Amino acid sequence: MAESSIDVLLKGSSGRTTRGLLRIIILLTIAAAAVASRLFSVIRFESIIHEFDPWFNFRATKYLVENGFYSFWDWFDDRTWHPLGRVTGGTLYPGLMVTSGVIYHILRFLTIPVDIRNICVLLAPAFSGLTALAMYLLTCEMSSSPSAGLLAAAFMGITPGYISRSVAGSYDNEAIAIFLLVFTFFLWIKAVKNGSIMWGALTALFYGYMVSAWGGYVFITNLIPLHVFVLICMGRYSTRVYISYTTWYALGTLGSMQIPFVGFLPIRNSDHMSALGVFGLIQLVAFAEFIRGYLPGKQFQKLLTSMVLLVFGLGFGGLVLLSISGVIAPWSGRFYSLWDTGYAKIHIPIIASVSEHQPTAWPAFFFDLNFLIWLFPAGVFICFQKLKDEHVFVIIYAVLSSYFAGVMVRLMLTLTPIVCVAAALALSAILDNFLVLSKPDPEAVAKASAEDSKSFRSSRSPIVGIYSYFSKTVVTCSMSLYLLMFVAHCTWVTSNAYSSPSVVLASKMPDGSQFIIDDYREAYYWLRQNTPDNAKIMSWWDYGYQIGGMADRPTLVDNNTWNNTHIATVGKAMSSREEVSYPILRQHDVDYVLVVFGGLLGYSGDDLNKFLWMVRIAEGIWPDEISERDYFTARGEYRVDEEATPTMKNSLMYKMSYYNYNSLFPAGQAVDRVRGVKLPAESPQLNTLEEAFTSENWIIRIYKVKDLDNLGRDHSNAVAFDKGLKRKRATKKKGPRVLRTE
Amino acid sequence: MRFFTASVLGLLMPSLAAASNLSTATQLVLPLDFKPPQVFKNTNLVRNTNLEKSYVRETINVVVENVDKQPQSDYYIPFPSDVFNRVGGFEVRDKKATDAGRFEVDATEIVSSSGNQFFVVHFPEPLAPKSQITLGISYSVLNSLAPRPSVIQQNDKQYLTYSFSAYVPSAYQTVTQKTKLKFPGTNVADYTETSDLKTGADPERKGTTYTYGPYETAKVAPGTEYPITVRYEFTNPVITAHLLERDVEVSHWGGNLATEERYWLRNNGSELANHFSRVEWTFSNYQKAPSSAVREITYPLQPGSVDPYFTDDIGNVSTSRYRPGNGKTGANLELKPRYPIFGGWNYSFKVGWNNDLGRFLRQIKGSDSYALKVPFLQGPKMSEGIQYERVVVRLVLPEGAHNVRYELVEGANSNGLPSANQIQATLSSFKTYMDTLGRTTLTLEVDSLTDEARDAQLVVIYDHTLTDALRKPLTIFAGLVTTFFAIWVIGNIDVSIKKR
Repeated sequence: MAESSIDVLLKGSSGRTTRGLLRIIILLTIAAAAVASRLFSVIRFESIIHEFDPWFNFRATKYLVENGFYSFWDWFDDRTWHPLGRVTGGTLYPGLMVTSGVIYHILRFLTIPVDIRNICVLLAPAFSGLTALAMYLLTCEMSSSPSAGLLAAAFMGITPGYISRSVAGSYDNEAIAIFLLVFTFFLWIKAVKNGSIMWGALTALFYGYMVSAWGGYVFITNLIPLHVFVLICMGRYSTRVYISYTTWYALGTLGSMQIPFVGFLPIRNSDHMSALGVFGLIQLVAFAEFIRGYLPGKQFQKLLTSMVLLVFGLGFGGLVLLSISGVIAPWSGRFYSLWDTGYAKIHIPIIASVSEHQPTAWPAFFFDLNFLIWLFPAGVFICFQKLKDEHVFVIIYAVLSSYFAGVMVRLMLTLTPIVCVAAALALSAILDNFLVLSKPDPEAVAKASAEDSKSFRSSRSPIVGIYSYFSKTVVTCSMSLYLLMFVAHCTWVTSNAYSSPSVVLASKMPDGSQFIIDDYREAYYWLRQNTPDNAKIMSWWDYGYQIGGMADRPTLVDNNTWNNTHIATVGKAMSSREEVSYPILRQHDVDYVLVVFGGLLGYSGDDLNKFLWMVRIAEGIWPDEISERDYFTARGEYRVDEEATPTMKNSLMYKMSYYNYNSLFPAGQAVDRVRGVKLPAESPQLNTLEEAFTSENWIIRIYKVKDLDNLGRDHSNAVAFDKGLKRKRATKKKGPRVLRTE
Repeated sequence: MRFFTASVLGLLMPSLAAASNLSTATQLVLPLDFKPPQVFKNTNLVRNTNLEKSYVRETINVVVENVDKQPQSDYYIPFPSDVFNRVGGFEVRDKKATDAGRFEVDATEIVSSSGNQFFVVHFPEPLAPKSQITLGISYSVLNSLAPRPSVIQQNDKQYLTYSFSAYVPSAYQTVTQKTKLKFPGTNVADYTETSDLKTGADPERKGTTYTYGPYETAKVAPGTEYPITVRYEFTNPVITAHLLERDVEVSHWGGNLATEERYWLRNNGSELANHFSRVEWTFSNYQKAPSSAVREITYPLQPGSVDPYFTDDIGNVSTSRYRPGNGKTGANLELKPRYPIFGGWNYSFKVGWNNDLGRFLRQIKGSDSYALKVPFLQGPKMSEGIQYERVVVRLVLPEGAHNVRYELVEGANSNGLPSANQIQATLSSFKTYMDTLGRTTLTLEVDSLTDEARDAQLVVIYDHTLTDALRKPLTIFAGLVTTFFAIWVIGNIDVSIKKR
C-alpha cells in the first residue's frame, strides 16, 4: 500500500520503519481529532440523542438489545401509526442498530457496563475516525504522493460537510454509512487494480453491509456499474474489470437481497437496473473478446454489429415490457425529484416539506467544504492527467455527486468524500513540488543536458521544476495559511452550526452563563410519567419519533412517513374546525394532542410555521374540504393576528397554539414573538379539547381530548351552558343598581 | 465519620464477629385463635400522634405492670393487618434507660380470628410480678393520611384526614389513656368531638395540639374502638417513594465511594380537579404561594461529595444546582423536577455522586479486615417529610471480599429503622468492569420507612486480602498476553494457495 510510495523517497530499512511508524501515529492523531471535534455537544450539553430520526434508531436499538435479534427482525410495532401499526423489522435498514447491538454485546461480554445510550451517542464519532482511515486507504490508491492519503484523511476527519451528519448523538444511518461508502469504494478500486476475486468479494461484503445500513446504497449500486461502463466505452475492458465486477455484482446482489426492506428490489426496481444491464453487457463484451481471438477481423465486425443491435433491441424491449407489466417497479418519487427539483413540490408535498430535501444554496458549498471546494476541480484535473482506471472512477464520482449535491442538501454528504480525495490530490501535488528544498545537482544537470543534446529532441527530458526559494516560500506559506484557516473554519462551523441537539435549546443568561431550555423533555417526560401507558398522542409527524423515544407513548404518525393518507388525516384534523376535527380524533382513539408553540420564546421552528405544509398535505387528499387559499388573507398574506382569515382562526392548530395565551399578558397586549404580531385580545375558545399540560416556556402544549358529554349534548353546547351560568352571575353583579325595597 | 475511631470499632467488633448476621425477614406463626395472654396491665398510656409530616408518627409511652404470678417477658402490640404492613421503623425502648438500646421485637403472621398482626416485644429481663416498666414505643404509619377533598383546584388549600380510635389499640387492659395530636398548623377544618367519653370538652385544644382524653378505661375491653376523624390543612405535597434503590459501590483501587439512588416518587396529595394550568402556576410561583405540588427537592450531601448528577429516563435534568459547601459544611443538591409534581403525578429519577473512600473506610490494624461506615439512607430533606414504601440498599464491595458482616449503628434515640430481623439481608455477586468472580454485594431490603431513617449509619466489616486486590490486574494482563499470542499465532499461519 503506502509503503511502496515511501520506498521511492527513502533508502535504508530503518528510515522506512520510522516513517511507517510516523504515518501510523499521524493517522491515529487524525482519527482522534475527528472524534474529538464531534464531541462539542456532549461537552456542552450531555450525552443525548439528537433531533428526530436518531430517536427512532435509538428506540429500535434498545428493542434489539432487549429482545434479541430474531424478535427485532419480526418486530411489528403497534405503538406507532396507530391504528395501523408498522412492520418495523421489515421496513428499516438494520445495519446501524445491529452494529451498536454487537458493540454492546462485546462490551457486555467483557463485563464493561456501558449504557446502550452512550454507545449510540458515540457511534458516529467512532465511525468517523474509521472513515478518516478508510479515506487514507482510498486516496493512497489514487496517488503515489506520500502526502495525499494523509491530507485526505485529515480533510475527511474534520470537514463540516461530513461532521454535519456525524456529531456525537446524531445516531443516524449516515453515521456508519459514509465509512462503508468510502471503504467499499476503496475495496472496489483495489479489486479493479488487482483483478482479484478476493477484493471483489470483500467489496461485495461491505456493499452488503452498506445496503443494510443506508438507503443511499443505491449510489454505489449505480456508480460502480457506471465506472465499468465508462471503462468499457473507453476501450479499457480487461479481465481485471470482468473478474471484479462479476464477483461484486453476483455476491453483492445476493447479499443485498438478504435485507427484508430491500428484498427483491435489486431485480425489480428501476434504480437497480443499470447494475444488471452492465452485468449483461460485460458478459457480452467478454464473449466478444473471446470470439475475437478466433475469428478474422471482418467477420468479427459483422457479428459484433448484429449482436449489438440484437441485444440492444431485445434488452430495451424487454425493459419496456416489464415496466409496463409492472414486474419492474417504476422510478420512485424521491428519484424523480433528483432530476426535477420542482417535482416533489407538486406531486409529493411530504418530501418537499422536509428541509433537507431542498436544493442546496450556493454558499452551503463553501460553508461545508471551505477551501476544498476550489481545490476540488484542480484535483479532478490532475485525475484527467493520469487517467488510470481508478482516476476514471474519481472523475465519474465527482461529476455525479456534484450534481446530486446541488439538488438536495442532504446529498452534500456523498459529495464530501470525493471532494476530500480530489482536494488532497491537488494539494499534495502542490506540496510535493514546493516543499522539496533540494535543487538538482549542477553536474547532473550538465550531464543530462549533454546526454539530451545527443539524443532525439522528442526523447529528451530536460530537468524542469521550481527552484526559487522565494516562490517556494510564498506558495508553501499561503497553503499553510489556507490549511490553518480551514481548521479554524471547520471548528467554528462544527461548534456553532452542527452541535445542537435540537431537543435541548441553549440560550444565554444576561450574565453570559448558559441557560438551557428543556421544554421538549419536560413535556415528554410528563407524558411518560402521568398518562396511561397506551394513551394515543396525536402530533405533527415531525415529533412522532421523539414521542415514541422519550415519552414512550403510541403515536398516530411519525417521521417514517410511509402512509401519506394517514399524515394527511392528521393534517386535516389540525387544520379544520373543531366540529370536523373532533370526529377524526375520536375515530383514531386520540387521547392527547401535542402542539409546538414558539410564540412566547420566539422559537421559530414551531407548528404554526409548519402549518401550511399540514394544509397542503391535507389538501392533497381532500381538495374539496381543505384549501390552502383559505388560510391566506385576501391580500395573500399568512397572518395570525386580528386580520387572520376565519378559516385560520377556527382551525384547531390556531386555537391550540393561542388558547389562553393572552392571560399571560396585560389585557390586549398579547404578542407572538415568532411572527412578531399582536394577537386578538380574546383567547380562542376550545370546546372539544382541554389544556392538559403546557411546558415552562410554552413550547409544548398538550391537550386532552374530551370524552363524549355525559348528557349527550355536543361539546359547544355543554361549554356554552357552563359559561352561561357564569355569565349570568357576572351580569348580575354589573347590572344596573336596583333600589332594595325590603 | 470522624467519630469512627478504633474504640468504636473495638466496641462493635465482638458483637459483629459473633455471628454472620445475614438474616431474612421472618414472621412468627401464631395459632389461628391466638389471644395474647392477659398477663399485663397498662396503668397509664399516653399516645403522641404527630401529623406535621406527610406520614403519621406515633410515640406511645406506656407504664406496664405484670399482673400475673409468673415473671413475664413477652408484650404483644396489635395492629390490624392492613395497617401492619404500613408500620415503619417500629421500635420499643425502656423509657427509663433509653441508652440501653432497643428491645428485641418479632413480627407475627396474621391471626385470622381477630384480623390482627402483632409485634412481640421481648424484655431483656422478665418483668417480675407486680413490678412496672415504662415502655417508649415509636413507629410511623405510612399512607394513612387521605386527602379530602380528593380533587382540588390548582391554587386551593389541601386538606388531609386522619382516622384513628380514641382508645389506643392494645392487647391489654388500659387504666388511663390519652392521645395528643400535633397538627402542622392551626387550620383544623373538622374534628370529631366526643360526648360520652369524659366530662368536659373533648378534645382540649391548645394551639396546634389537640388532646383527646384522659379517659378512664379500666372497664373497657381491650380492642374496643371509638372512631375519631380529624381533617386539617396540609398545603404541602405528600411525597411517597414507591421504591428507592440505593447503590453504594466501594472501589479500593480508585479510592472512591460511588453512590447512586433511584427514586420512584409519587405525590399522594389531592389531585387536580381541572388539568394543569401553566398560567396559574407561573403566577403562583411568582408569589411563592404554598402549593400541594413538589417544586424543588433539597438533597443534602456529605461534605466532600463530588461529581453529582441528576438524571431521569431521558437524560440529564438541566434544572438542578449543586452547592458544594466549603469542605466542612455539607454540600447541597437542589433538584428541580422537570415539572411540578401535583397530587397523583409521578416522577422517577436518579441521583448519584462520589466521595473519597478514605473518610468511610478503615483497615483494621494487623489484619486483612476492613470496616466501612456509610449512611444507610440519605435522601432528600424536606420539611413535609418523605415516606418510602420500599428501600433496597445495595452495597457493592470489592471483588473477593468475604466474611461480610453488617450492623446498623444504634444511638440513644430511634434511628428510624426497624429491628434487624425485619430487614432482609442477602449476599450476592455482581459482575462489572472486567470482574472474574464478581463483586460481593450485600443487599438490605426494608419495607415502610420514613425520612426519619436519614443518616442511620451502616457498618460493614469484610475481609479483603492482597490476592483479591491483585486478581484483576493479573487477569487483564493474562488476557492481553493471550490475545497478543493468539494474534501472533494466527498471523503466522500461511493459508495462501501458492506453492510453498
